[in-house]
Amino acid sequence: MIQKSIPTDLEVARRLTEEILGQARAAGYDEDACFAIRLSLEEALINAIKHGNKFDRSRKVSVSADVGADLTTITVIDEGDGFDPSSVPDPTADENLEKPFGRGIMLMRAYMDEVGYNDRGNKVRMVKHRCSGLPTSVGQSTVHSSGAEPESPCGPSGKTEPARHFRHGPGRQ
Amino acid sequence: MTITTHNKPLQLNVNRRGNAAVVSVVGSVSMSDADRLREALEKLTDERISVIVLDLREMDFICSVGLGAIIVAYLKCRHHAGQIKLVCPVQSVRELLETTRLTKLFRIYDSIDGALAGV
Repeated sequence: MIQKSIPTDLEVARRLTEEILGQARAAGYDEDACFAIRLSLEEALINAIKHGNKFDRSRKVSVSADVGADLTTITVIDEGDGFDPSSVPDPTADENLEKPFGRGIMLMRAYMDEVGYNDRGNKVRMVKHRCSGLPTSVGQSTVHSSGAEPESPCGPSGKTEPARHFRHGPGRQ
Repeated sequence: MTITTHNKPLQLNVNRRGNAAVVSVVGSVSMSDADRLREALEKLTDERISVIVLDLREMDFICSVGLGAIIVAYLKCRHHAGQIKLVCPVQSVRELLETTRLTKLFRIYDSIDGALAGV
């Protein structure tokens, strides 16, 4: 279990991301799961630093990460005023594709299995199951040279359940 | 026990080819490195380079800020009828581009030569 309060600093946040990712790799999470955790954690930290704390170095970002054998739970809290996540436009809509920002929450929802905010909107909690893979890898399986499925702690398909886009976020479809 | 893994630091190499430029992106475009990509692309768009090819074969990660840097360059290129082309993103990055639907904005090529054909 990692629990840290870090300054509003992107480089410090990146190093903390690497530390958490190191735990996930040590626990046997595969590259897809590690990619998902890294991306979602970076997006949560970017939001906390940029939109929450507004790059104010006197403010802190609190991060907790519990990397378990089967799932990882990460919480990121900033000291900002919070926001309403349902008010963020869908960045995958045609009219928003050319916007250079606004993808963070969508990515967290796409790559993690659970994403939830507190009422104030300054705390996000994310859960990743070890074997849920990447969003668009649903149903795919890897056939190795032997033609047989590799043994996997996650079962023959390598998945415990299908990943999904926008799982949590009514009004964001 | 805390184990720290070190992801590849970002390296950007720009290779000019006439009025085109190939930018090799090696390593991770993480939150603290995305500005370097933005600055490199901004320099090329300011020069009104007609085609910017991003060689993504060795880019293992990109965050939304990095994606934003590429979109900003795309928008600037459009002002002078320029283009941004992507070459061979690794599977996880390709899936990220599909998840965000940015494959609607950027054409993905199998090779640098293919991206530069006709330039």
